[in-house]
Amino acid sequence: MALKSVESLTPRAASTPDASERELLERIARSKDQAAFRTLYGSYYQRLSRLLARMSVRREDIEEVINDTFWVVWTKAGEFRGASQLSTWIIGIAYRRALNALRRAKIRPVSDEPFDEDSISVMSTDAAETDGQWLALGLTRLPVEQRMALELTYTLGHSCEEVAAILDCPVNTVKTRLFRARETLKQVLPALAGMSGEKS
Amino acid sequence: MSARIPDTHAEAWALLPWLANGRLPASDREWVEAHVAQCAECRGELEAQRKVATQINLDPSPAGNDEQRSFNKLWARIEASESAAPSASGAAGGFVASRSSRTVRWLAAAVVVQGFGLALFGFNALRTNTPTGEIITVAEVPAQRLNAPAVRLVFAPEASVAAINTLLTHQGLSIVAGPGTSGNFTAVLSADAVASGASADSVAAVISRDPNVTFAQPVAR
Repeated sequence: MALKSVESLTPRAASTPDASERELLERIARSKDQAAFRTLYGSYYQRLSRLLARMSVRREDIEEVINDTFWVVWTKAGEFRGASQLSTWIIGIAYRRALNALRRAKIRPVSDEPFDEDSISVMSTDAAETDGQWLALGLTRLPVEQRMALELTYTLGHSCEEVAAILDCPVNTVKTRLFRARETLKQVLPALAGMSGEKS
Repeated sequence: MSARIPDTHAEAWALLPWLANGRLPASDREWVEAHVAQCAECRGELEAQRKVATQINLDPSPAGNDEQRSFNKLWARIEASESAAPSASGAAGGFVASRSSRTVRWLAAAVVVQGFGLALFGFNALRTNTPTGEIITVAEVPAQRLNAPAVRLVFAPEASVAAINTLLTHQGLSIVAGPGTSGNFTAVLSADAVASGASADSVAAVISRDPNVTFAQPVAR
């Protein structure tokens, strides 16, 4: 009853193109369109949840960061000038909010404990499962900035320039972070070891 | 053909992640691919990075929060902020009530009347028309009751009028405002409930666990 107006707005536009998302933002800026806001929120919720989890933000705090992010989207929609992709703007807000929260220790890291290598089952016959466990181990060894560069590139599929805009750093810094992340992963991921040949 | 052809191993190596994810600009892709074609080390690294990309995407997303519930919280926060602002609502910057939310207002007004009756606070009755022409009664609350401990809450879409009435009665709550465009109400605690030790915090904690309520928080006084 009371919430039907919100419930019936049917979110889910996980792969909404930037142009469509910009149209939603314009509706929010122009007429404070609740339906457009709900749709945009839904299209980013899972993406941001995953990204924030990778940043070691606890599950119960992820919602707070996402809602803080979309509070900014709601209040500043009219100020977005389109100089960058909308996704770059929104994810960048979320990233900075999460960093600030982590720095203030308001949001706690998931764990400072070193990854337990013994937890990876040597008896597993599922190669993908074992690789996934090693990857999880490798990711815990990466500083959050490197982890984010990796996640933004491989999971969200951003270009180097977009990653730089989100992380608010030069393009060369992104390349350096990914270079170091790759080196670290190679040290902990057996499946990657030896894949690269000798230098040409 | 690109005007800039670095074709150096180090530069190509640095760009391999974006060759792997398909987001390398055409101007770079041409020379990087040309380098990879004749560099065994870069071919191996590209394969390795594609493996990493595949694995990262296979990694299951963390167990998520309830998206709708999260949105309800955000919307309630926005509405609280907007309603706290000077009453310029409807003007530029204010909320634009959708047709559906206006319908909810009428439904909710009916709930208020059904649930609490006019006698509780000596309401002054007003008469107004619903969008469908149905006449309902809306209640006014004495000003002194508006300062009572209060909670802001949103009912579950499937909650029945009877269930809402029962919940509110048991908790000594009376709705004094709402709904907002997301369906949030403000309800005050009765004097009896306060006298028996109930507070906005304790009541919000209790009703937030009720299946008929999707959001509840104490209102700061």
